Amino acid sequence: MKQKIPFLLFKYSILCSFLIIFSNQLLAQNTEFKLPQLSGRVTDSKTGEPVVGATIFIDYKKSGFITDTSGRFSIYLPKGEYVIKITNVGYNPFRSKVLLKDDTKFDVSLQDVSKTLEEVIVSSQATRRSIQTPSLGVTLLSIKGIKKLPAMMGEVDIIRSLQTLPGVSSVGEGSNGINVRGGNTDQNLIYIDDAPIFNPTHLFGLFSVFASDAIRELELYKGSVPSRFGGRTASVLDIKMTDPSLEKFKLSGGVGFVSNRVMAEIPIIKDKLSIVAAGRVSFNDFWFKLIGPDNMKNTRANFYDVATKVFYRPNKNNTFSLSTYISRDFYQVDSLFSLENVVAKQTQFTYGHVNISGRWSHYFNPKMSLEVVGVLSNYKTKTFAPDSVNRIELYNHINYKNVKANFDYNPNDRHKLNFGVSGINYQISPGRLNEDVQSRIATVLLPNEQSLELGVYVDDEYKASDKLTIQAGLRYAQFLNLGPTTARKYLEGVPRSTSSQISEETISSGSIEKAYGGFEPRIAVKYSLGENSTMKLGYNRMQQFIQILSNNTTPLPTARWKTADEYIKPQVSDFVSLGIFKNYKDNIWEVSAEGYYRKTQNVLDYISGANLQLNKTIETQVIAGQGKAYGLELMLTKKKGEVSGWLSYTYARSLQQVRGDFPELQQISDGNWYASNYDKPHSLNLMLNIQPTIHHSFSFTFAYNTGRPFSSPSGFFQLNNQKYPVYETRNNDRVPDYHRLDFSWTITNPSLKEKRWEGSWTFTVYNLYGRANAYSVFFKPYRGGLRPYQLSVFANPLVSLTYNFKFL
Amino acid sequence: MKTQFPIYFILLIILIASCITPISDFEQVNTKSYFTIEASLTDQAGPHTVHLYMSSNQISGGYFQPVINANVTITDEKGTVETLSDPTQKGYYVTSSTFKGKVGSTYTLNIVTSDGRKYVSQPETMRAAPEIENLITKFEVEDIYAKGDPRRGGFNVYVDFQDFQTLGDNYQWYWRHYQKAYICEVCSNGYYDFRSNSCTFPRVPTDITLKYKCDGDCWDITYATSLNVFSDALLNGKRITGRRVARIPFDDITPYYLQFEQRSITQNSYNYYQSLVAQTQNNGTLFDVPAETKFSFNVKSTTNSSEKILGIFDVYAVKSKVFYIDRSVGIPAGETPTPNIVYGDVFSCPVGAVGCKEYVQCFQSSNRTPFKPVGWRD
Repeated sequence: MKQKIPFLLFKYSILCSFLIIFSNQLLAQNTEFKLPQLSGRVTDSKTGEPVVGATIFIDYKKSGFITDTSGRFSIYLPKGEYVIKITNVGYNPFRSKVLLKDDTKFDVSLQDVSKTLEEVIVSSQATRRSIQTPSLGVTLLSIKGIKKLPAMMGEVDIIRSLQTLPGVSSVGEGSNGINVRGGNTDQNLIYIDDAPIFNPTHLFGLFSVFASDAIRELELYKGSVPSRFGGRTASVLDIKMTDPSLEKFKLSGGVGFVSNRVMAEIPIIKDKLSIVAAGRVSFNDFWFKLIGPDNMKNTRANFYDVATKVFYRPNKNNTFSLSTYISRDFYQVDSLFSLENVVAKQTQFTYGHVNISGRWSHYFNPKMSLEVVGVLSNYKTKTFAPDSVNRIELYNHINYKNVKANFDYNPNDRHKLNFGVSGINYQISPGRLNEDVQSRIATVLLPNEQSLELGVYVDDEYKASDKLTIQAGLRYAQFLNLGPTTARKYLEGVPRSTSSQISEETISSGSIEKAYGGFEPRIAVKYSLGENSTMKLGYNRMQQFIQILSNNTTPLPTARWKTADEYIKPQVSDFVSLGIFKNYKDNIWEVSAEGYYRKTQNVLDYISGANLQLNKTIETQVIAGQGKAYGLELMLTKKKGEVSGWLSYTYARSLQQVRGDFPELQQISDGNWYASNYDKPHSLNLMLNIQPTIHHSFSFTFAYNTGRPFSSPSGFFQLNNQKYPVYETRNNDRVPDYHRLDFSWTITNPSLKEKRWEGSWTFTVYNLYGRANAYSVFFKPYRGGLRPYQLSVFANPLVSLTYNFKFL
Repeated sequence: MKTQFPIYFILLIILIASCITPISDFEQVNTKSYFTIEASLTDQAGPHTVHLYMSSNQISGGYFQPVINANVTITDEKGTVETLSDPTQKGYYVTSSTFKGKVGSTYTLNIVTSDGRKYVSQPETMRAAPEIENLITKFEVEDIYAKGDPRRGGFNVYVDFQDFQTLGDNYQWYWRHYQKAYICEVCSNGYYDFRSNSCTFPRVPTDITLKYKCDGDCWDITYATSLNVFSDALLNGKRITGRRVARIPFDDITPYYLQFEQRSITQNSYNYYQSLVAQTQNNGTLFDVPAETKFSFNVKSTTNSSEKILGIFDVYAVKSKVFYIDRSVGIPAGETPTPNIVYGDVFSCPVGAVGCKEYVQCFQSSNRTPFKPVGWRD
């Protein structure tokens, strides 16, 4: 609202201003004494209807006055400058400055909160579809919402943002991935436009790999997983890239502490063909050299990621899109994480994805549509030691190919069908050391592994009555581990080891070494308890045929992926959940409570001191166990308005029991259930976004959770004058509780001359009160025994400033 | 016009801080003591020791209760039995001084405790150890320690040797350092009692630290501070160079006496020590492996198969050599030794004091000896 100042006639110099004011007052006194009137009308911005009973506050006073039945108000005030604020329930408040010199008319239109969509940060029921679908445990996040969260070092981070939601956690800061409802990091299926992500983080877990600009939204399925998804047991994170604008060129980007970003949307043929390209490049080396501690001066750490999407819509019934995603990380570290039994001073790592996915959508008629998707994904890691005689070059990779066809069929108002087929081919190279390399270090070539994962599925969403909706689905998954490979046989009655191996059988190319298959029923039921509240109940079975082999606290980026075979059985999980959801005040407030229980079979653990790298007989290193997880998640969300955000409390447990085939020899912690590394029973998350004006936005996030478990010794012993701890049970103690407050302040300044250009500054403080949260507790020999130490990843507040721009 | 603002971003403060801090208020949640076996047999002259004790159930302090009156024997593949005795009754069972292991022979350890519990080791075969060809010393600064920290500057010692052509050789490196001792006891807030041969402390602290001179030749002994094992899995038959085996402190520029051992340990010992390395040396990172003790590794109870026991029966051949490390060369400008100073006053008897003793006897122990070490140069 522009203010009109009626005294622009007096355009004198500053020196004169005193006189002007003075003479003006004289003039006022000489005429009839009368206060100026401030009057106006308050209307709804969308409908134009008068807003009745809106309160007008003057100069921050506690009490105000209200509009009449026609939305009008008026008041007499002494001349001067006033701050007025107009509020009404269900509307965004309006604030303005008014310079009152004469009778002034002041019309205001208020924005109805329930009709603003962009404010939505998170919804525990995927708002767009929440009323229609019975799915539960599904969270939709818009990237606009994620950008409002305080980001560590100014780097908008999806993985970190997800951890503010109930049921999503990690072992700690700097961990490589997330744990969803007590599941392991490799039990999450992560897709960017249908292509899988095998490692979701850059810099050993510090930042997520997704360049936020190119992302439109993401859906996290932590409960009901529709039967079109399969292959992982804990969750699905479905990330969708922005469809580029078909009309207008757009440019946006940012400059931050960690990286620089840019994104362009370029229409090629108006309304038909368009391209979006987004990239991000880090410049950490610079910081390590400039301000890093001495021991990090030799550290090099860089990453980049590039995402592009070509979108083509030749006609109304067909759309084609081709998405690519490339990420790359590079590190150089001194004598860290090197291979065992080599002599190397420095080790370098590179890893990254190259993903391509193409999609054709065809609309036959309003009742039926088809999507055909083809995906190629490659995840590659390299470990390299540039030494003249002891050179190391170690390569690992996964090649993933997927073709799927998916039909949507809505025969009538009561049924919505979704069915299709999918075929995945995995080619895994688990390790090639020094192939064609001149070095003293031996050449070790592990044979490639290949397999097929086939699935057919159908889902029907049946609206039985106005109150009851049932979504019933079934997926059948068939896994085939294919030759060429070697099948090893071991002595019966003793644990598998290299010494108990009795024979080897060569399996020729294309033959099946081992097949697994099974049905995966998926059921979700929604029952309306009233107009705005629903109860939902769900059951899922899911199978997982590929997993990461890692016994580290959090997997290394170079950790090996392994598909199921004769000895490594697929994980199978059964999951039940129950939820109650209630909306208040036109969807502005949402309250939800969800409880769940999951049991997973064939969870892998490892023999003590397992050697997982370059091991041809990996089955000698693993032991199978089972996992269970259960929890209750309570969440209160305010989805829209000047103040938005959520508060959640979660009680969750994640336990494992590992006994192996020979409990007496293999079991962990005496075969008892023990807490997993990421078992954090109590957590509380608060996220608050305050947007008083379009120029300013403030966000706070607060996180509290029980400390994660660690193994605490029950004493010590001594060999060769050295002291060593005795660990009797796993994860029998906990690190101190975790809590952290973050803050961010975004200033958007649209008043630049070029109106298409919009810039904003974001000031962020991560870990505002600088708590040294423990990542782990460990023990080192010290004088007459052992001494406990605590490792904290970010022990101080991290302050950063980022500049973002948009050219629209 | 100056208004064109560069899109540079200005960083205000950065405090990258991953940090490791000792915990002072730690409370132990489990306590348990286990039967522990520290047994080694080498190809060197005996006596060889099998130390039997109960481990401490505290993480610091506590003590090792010796297991005495056990019947301990070592049997070779031909059935020859060597019986060990515990002359001091402190749980240290020793072989005769003439008994020694032979490369290629296989040995089994048998223990029967006084209450009838029986323990048997897996048979372990002694493998030959290759010659130590060369030790190379380089002065290197460890940046993780701040300037002024005695651990910052030091000499890294690297070994060169030729691995045998057969696959499956495993190595361990170990060293001892002897240094002439002139002070044999330091008593803070007290004085030395020559009858009990220890410091005694009066009720009222004296606030004085007294250093007592040794009564004759005496050496302080320090040992390798970290476990260092290696397998030839990826370097079989190759010349192995540049493997770091020791770090020598820069506390003086005098030559440093180093008794260096290259041991050929068994596969079992390698696996065992590797797991200890993971637990105490490679920990404290984001990627720690689970802290897990390997119980009953190559010695098991035959009377109670589920009994958890600690320790290992270690069988190895050893090549030993004495080196004098020159600590006066290769030091970059500006680096000076950080001497290891023990504060206090050297005790001397007041003039005319009757019956006053000022020299403390140099007792043989694990960190002090009155016997001149091999290859010692005065």
